[in-house]
Amino acid sequence: MPYRSFRSVQADLANGTTTCRGLVDDYLTRIAENAHLNAFTEVYADEARQRADELDGRRAENPVRIGRLHGMVIGLKDVLSHAGHGLQAGSHILSGFTAQFTATAVERLLAEDAIIIGRQNCDEFAMGSSNESSAFGVVRNAADPERVPGGSSGGSAVAVQAGLCLASIGSDTGGSVRQPAAFCGVVGLKPTYGRISRWGLVAYASSFDCIGPIANTPADVALLLEVMAGADEFDSTVSTRPVAAYSQATLPSLASGGRPVRVAYLIDGVESEGVSPDIRRATQGAIDRLLAAGHVVEPVSLSLLKYLLPTYYILTTAEASSNLSRFDGVRYGHRAQPASGAQTDLVEMYKQSRTEGFGPEVRKRILLGTFALSASYYDAYYTKAQQVRRLVRDETERVFANYDFLLTPTTPGSAFRLGEKSDHTAETDPLQMYLADIFTVQANVTGYPAISIPNGTDSNGLPIGIQLMAPPFAEESLIAMAERMFKV
Amino acid sequence: MPMLNLLPIFAPMQAESTVLTPPLSTTYEAVIGLEVHCQLLTNSKMFAADANAFGAEPNTQVSVITLAHPGALPKANRVAVEYAVRMGLACGSAITRRNIFARKNYFYPDLPKGYQLSQDKGPICVGGQIPVRAKGFDGTLRDTAIQLHHIHLEEDAGKSIHDIDPNATCLDYNRAGTPLIEMVTEPCLRSADEAGQFLTEVRRLVRYLGICDGNLEEGSLRCDVNVSIRPKGVTELGTKVEVKNLNSIRNVMRAVDAEFRRQVMLTETGGRIIQETRLFDADLGQTAGMREKETMNDYRYFPDPDLMPVVISDAWLANIQAGMPALPRDLYHKLTTQYGLPDYDAALLTEARELVEFYEAVCAETPHYKAASNWLMGPVKAQLSEKNLRDRQFPVSATALAALIRLIDEGTISQTAAQTVFGLMVEQPERSPAELATAQGLLQNRNTNDLQSLIDGVLAAWPDKVEQYRKGKKNLLGLFVGEVMKKSKGSADPKLVNQLIMNALS
Repeated sequence: MPYRSFRSVQADLANGTTTCRGLVDDYLTRIAENAHLNAFTEVYADEARQRADELDGRRAENPVRIGRLHGMVIGLKDVLSHAGHGLQAGSHILSGFTAQFTATAVERLLAEDAIIIGRQNCDEFAMGSSNESSAFGVVRNAADPERVPGGSSGGSAVAVQAGLCLASIGSDTGGSVRQPAAFCGVVGLKPTYGRISRWGLVAYASSFDCIGPIANTPADVALLLEVMAGADEFDSTVSTRPVAAYSQATLPSLASGGRPVRVAYLIDGVESEGVSPDIRRATQGAIDRLLAAGHVVEPVSLSLLKYLLPTYYILTTAEASSNLSRFDGVRYGHRAQPASGAQTDLVEMYKQSRTEGFGPEVRKRILLGTFALSASYYDAYYTKAQQVRRLVRDETERVFANYDFLLTPTTPGSAFRLGEKSDHTAETDPLQMYLADIFTVQANVTGYPAISIPNGTDSNGLPIGIQLMAPPFAEESLIAMAERMFKV
Repeated sequence: MPMLNLLPIFAPMQAESTVLTPPLSTTYEAVIGLEVHCQLLTNSKMFAADANAFGAEPNTQVSVITLAHPGALPKANRVAVEYAVRMGLACGSAITRRNIFARKNYFYPDLPKGYQLSQDKGPICVGGQIPVRAKGFDGTLRDTAIQLHHIHLEEDAGKSIHDIDPNATCLDYNRAGTPLIEMVTEPCLRSADEAGQFLTEVRRLVRYLGICDGNLEEGSLRCDVNVSIRPKGVTELGTKVEVKNLNSIRNVMRAVDAEFRRQVMLTETGGRIIQETRLFDADLGQTAGMREKETMNDYRYFPDPDLMPVVISDAWLANIQAGMPALPRDLYHKLTTQYGLPDYDAALLTEARELVEFYEAVCAETPHYKAASNWLMGPVKAQLSEKNLRDRQFPVSATALAALIRLIDEGTISQTAAQTVFGLMVEQPERSPAELATAQGLLQNRNTNDLQSLIDGVLAAWPDKVEQYRKGKKNLLGLFVGEVMKKSKGSADPKLVNQLIMNALS
């Protein structure tokens, strides 16, 4: 059985029950056994074994002077730059591309003795909620291989769910860490915008993108956040606030004189027809447990809820249309070859390379974003959406004036069937797919931190997630609260 | 925005060959606006730590940021911001405190990110002016202040090189990301001479400020002109035409003239001016239209979410202000008042910052300010232009030049000999002027006994002239002095000889 917490890994490493090499070999075996899940696009077997041996040697030499992540076997979503390794963001357009520098977050994991075991499948350029848009094929949910794992960090969530690594590093632009974590029954954290440097994160929508950890427990994501967070001279948008000891975070219990925690829950999360009955019931259950524990739990509604998705899609596609311009076939990645005998023409080369290189979802979002930024529609879409973003921030801030946390289901439904919402030939409504993000996008639109933890299963035995959101840079209390709810 | 498939189409010949009749040039006036790009002399690029230097091997100053690798992020260069502020302060512009960089989106192979980081709204410097004295189209000189619309900061693109490989375009990304300021004037210029004078002044200013080397040939200073015409007395603006490909101040002036003529001729022959971008052909002295597929580019500007606004605090601004070097106009004033130089000298000496700094260094060691000015305007400038001394120090130190001036003043060497000594100083800067003069036997003979015997000989050889002199033909003195000088082979101190002859004949 795979380990389900880093603490148990550390204990066994300390008492000699296992070694880093033993861990890596186990994970490699399980990765091979679960190849059908398609969670990894590349596995660094030899490199991971070599590093494990090296780390075992280091521990033998001096068991005290080892990194905080010594023995943690981690997978990286294929959007994180890792020098000397392939980097494709799940896209054909980066075929054959090798990263020349290492993301700050990854650099920091390595400095604390983490073992990187491979790169993980994801929706192309992190655009998707089902991990069906990857150039490497769909990822399957380990709870039911006919179902999606969520997205875009689907491979990362499944890898933790199926015990193919102890933790994964994903990215969250509209819920891409939390939604697959919910679908796969694991823990996913989206930190405050700017808490972790984006240097080395392939950009989807720069003002929304956050690197976020996926693991089995709140304590594990806390430790990963603690290692990755903090100032970085390579990202001018990163926060310089000191990094707290997130892995040690606790909330004073009511018994020891702590004040009751004030939790607001979004009324739509337990009442809306759009939320599945099982999830409504599970969410209500969590509310009841909090009430029983003596906390203040009250319903709130967001007047701007219906504007969240349009705002999100206008702004993220606008930024994406520009962020993805660099993939033009000129300097690296896929370049279309002219038909034999045909004249090379620059504009034709651009069109062909990008048409061949990008999948339909990415092309759609580039078109949407280009439209939203075009001179004739700029004010009606981009400017308006920026204004709404500010209003959403204001309204969210007002909620947090009275509450410590905002509680919602992570998703309105549990994992859906492959193809159910993505079959472009059938009469599926793309908006149905986008609705999977309805509860998660608020944290990205506002930049607030949010965490998804498991909250039981539905009638099909599929995992359900519950989401807690906190004010900016309140990760310490957010994690402590998640830890408390996780234990119940 | 350059398009790849640009083929210049030449305008109809008759329009170019028709001579502009004088009345037309007085019927219309030109309305000219300039856009001047200056590459900033920062050590690193606008948004990356790569070296920023001209002339390196292709693609050697390229980091993952410059090449726009996935996951790379920009970081604003604070020195570039300071340089832009310096220019703004020198022009009396208002300085924008909160600077936002925007993305200007378009596809071109030399633009790695697919967008250029620039300032769309809220340029770093707003307004301001640069005074110039220039000829109008009617040829009369006028003093005018060229009004600036704004100055903004942006990054340069790489270079597409079309003439290395016949089958491919080569790309050099060294220049990509180089910091630029773009100065945009109001459409307030009226003649080619004003455009030329303005550019000359901009070049001088950026060099004084040490923010740009101002080299049009290498492209560190680039200028596009917007030209329109209108009948004199009309206040509305005509349709403007942008002219590019101008690599010297002279060509800017030629292009303005050519475009003015073209537009007047076109209008007079019933044609219509269309808003377009034209290229100047320096060989033909004409502008030619560019064939563009797209009429208008939609750059889809939006604030770059990867960069925080660069905020210029009071303290930072005060710091930049305190570090401002003296400007040409301040030094001009100083030269005409403190050093008592004529306007002509002051204008010449303030042409370049190095020249006036050298001048002041010389004046720190000699009280003969005008003599120092003469030396700089004459022999020093001649040496500077003869040898291309841009990259190295002028060999003669201010101290040595001051010493040379002292030797003349003391009568130790003659003016003529000093010219020879100066030439030697350039070649052998390690030797002092006195040393050189001595070694070359150029010291003036001031030995009264020696000179007296020469004088006695000359006077004895010209008894009749001596007689005439004594009878009042005083201008014969020059003859005697000349003869003595000749006999001394130029080594005699003419002033002393003069004195001694007068004494001998009195």
